[in-house]
Amino acid sequence: MTVPRGRVWKFGDDVHGDDGIIEFAIIRDSFGKEFDEDALRAMCFRRLRPEFPAEVRKGDIVVGGRNFAHHNHVEVSVAMRASGIAVVVVESCDSGFLRRALNHGLPVMICPGIHAAVQDGEVLEADPATGLVTLPDGRVLRASPFSERMVQIWHAGGSIPLLEREFAARRAAQG
Amino acid sequence: MSAAAPAIVRTAAQTIGQTIGQTIAQKIIAAHCGRDQVSVGEYVTVSPDYTACQELFWPGHKRNLERIGVDRIPRPDKAVMVIDHSTSAAMGSHHHETHRTLRDWCESQGIENFFGPGNGLRHLVLTERGFARPGTLIFSDEGNIATIGVLGALNLPISTEVIVAIIQDENWIAVPPSARITLTGRLGFGVTARDLIQTILRDCTADGRLLQCCVEFDGPGLATLSLDDRQAILASLFHSGAYTGIMEPDALALDYVRARDAGRPWQVVRADPDASYMTRLTYDLAAIQPMVTVPPDAHGAVPVEQAAGRRIDQATIGSCANGRLDDMREAARLLRGRQVAPHVTLYVTPGSRGVYVEAAREGLLEVLAEAGATILAPGCTTCWGYQGVLNENEVLISTQQFNYHGRNGARSSRVYLAGPAVVAASAVAGRITDPRDMLSEVEA
Repeated sequence: MTVPRGRVWKFGDDVHGDDGIIEFAIIRDSFGKEFDEDALRAMCFRRLRPEFPAEVRKGDIVVGGRNFAHHNHVEVSVAMRASGIAVVVVESCDSGFLRRALNHGLPVMICPGIHAAVQDGEVLEADPATGLVTLPDGRVLRASPFSERMVQIWHAGGSIPLLEREFAARRAAQG
Repeated sequence: MSAAAPAIVRTAAQTIGQTIGQTIAQKIIAAHCGRDQVSVGEYVTVSPDYTACQELFWPGHKRNLERIGVDRIPRPDKAVMVIDHSTSAAMGSHHHETHRTLRDWCESQGIENFFGPGNGLRHLVLTERGFARPGTLIFSDEGNIATIGVLGALNLPISTEVIVAIIQDENWIAVPPSARITLTGRLGFGVTARDLIQTILRDCTADGRLLQCCVEFDGPGLATLSLDDRQAILASLFHSGAYTGIMEPDALALDYVRARDAGRPWQVVRADPDASYMTRLTYDLAAIQPMVTVPPDAHGAVPVEQAAGRRIDQATIGSCANGRLDDMREAARLLRGRQVAPHVTLYVTPGSRGVYVEAAREGLLEVLAEAGATILAPGCTTCWGYQGVLNENEVLISTQQFNYHGRNGARSSRVYLAGPAVVAASAVAGRITDPRDMLSEVEA
């Protein structure tokens, strides 16, 4: 899998997940149903950056400030992933966001210093497997690298696709 | 069964003279991955004692089980499945189907720990029915289930990944750092534990000092709080970005456990004296005032007088923060002989069937109903806007967990958070009110 390299969408500190990145009042009635990815894409970040849904491209990178995406249901992660975001790099976030996002195939890297080091629209390279974040000027910041299992989950596109593959392999091995 | 602090096990790294003290979270995690100790930030795979799962995302879990091709889960005895978010399968919702398929699946898997509508919140099911015991590690789908930390059990919230833990009987975690909050003194007249946690959130959220932490509580002030009060603190801790929370169980907690363990094993886990904490804080309970958290931030607490006078349309008492017997008692103490203001709707939700029964036995439900409250079935009910939906511009004061825009209905509605005393007093006055005047009349 190639190292994510993409254009930065930069957001600030304390970006709210449920009432910022998405809109809880709209998703609440859908809990339990298949994710409506079109609807999630359409609402993703629109409150903060109205142009985001139309202009985001596959492979773009979200850079966040402190306590990014706090108070997030899983739909927050699905909305970003469905929008094509390759990786999220933040100053800080709670553990729940990192887990929810990875579970749905979206890697989140906690990289202190990133917010001041990169501007909106610049190109960033960020590798969850090594924890290395390469800035436009070639400088490198270090985040905590993913564990081997986390890399597997990321590469598979989430926990469920990974388990699907592993169970299929196990069944095949058992003949 | 309760044991003294285990001797510090020295690993190769420590034989050169350094002692690495372990926090409660480190010790419980180490015990569940077959290790003597673990380091903060280390990735380990743990096998839980239980995995607790609610019904709201069940249809998705079921689809995923089918996609993966899971016929049998390895440990049906570890799954605790609770219908608590959609206790009344209302007309127009799809939740009645969820109830059916979850019940059927549990039966097909031999899962005996299925708790259908009306049993109450996972939080209370776990404590009241003896699943949460000292030293147990429980995967759950929500951070507010840190309430089980009142008994020395460790909640590790993994959201929709609970199904992964149920499929594999294990899951990965990053060992969290810990913080320590020491409580001294005693809460003053008309002040509840909810006021304390709202104060802690006000102080500790913006600078992220509890972010990703397991917060351990200790100190002489803790012993002055009831188990219900302690759970109110743990329930709301996650708003600070903390991962989970735990308290070393005292005699009160251990008596509670012994009455419910049904012979199942447990062991009290204590932190080493030289354990390392990212943050240490002390709160004097006597200095805490009645607080109101103003929308839209969970850390936007102000002293009640700063929010007093705001006209309200609805008041709700319940949720995993304040749906326990002490909360019902507090509400009844204020509402006895009084009437909810004519323009206010008051919903009260006991957190579990056990709380409901006890509240009935003590005559509290009668007091609440006579005052004009509507008693709802045990569950999450109003906290996520499933019931008591707000119209445009309506104002709610609630003991619930969230106050962000759109949580309970129209985005222009406003949600203020407070403890049961403030909410009950406000329901009577029809506006946000300091409960201490009304309580003085009660005491007089």
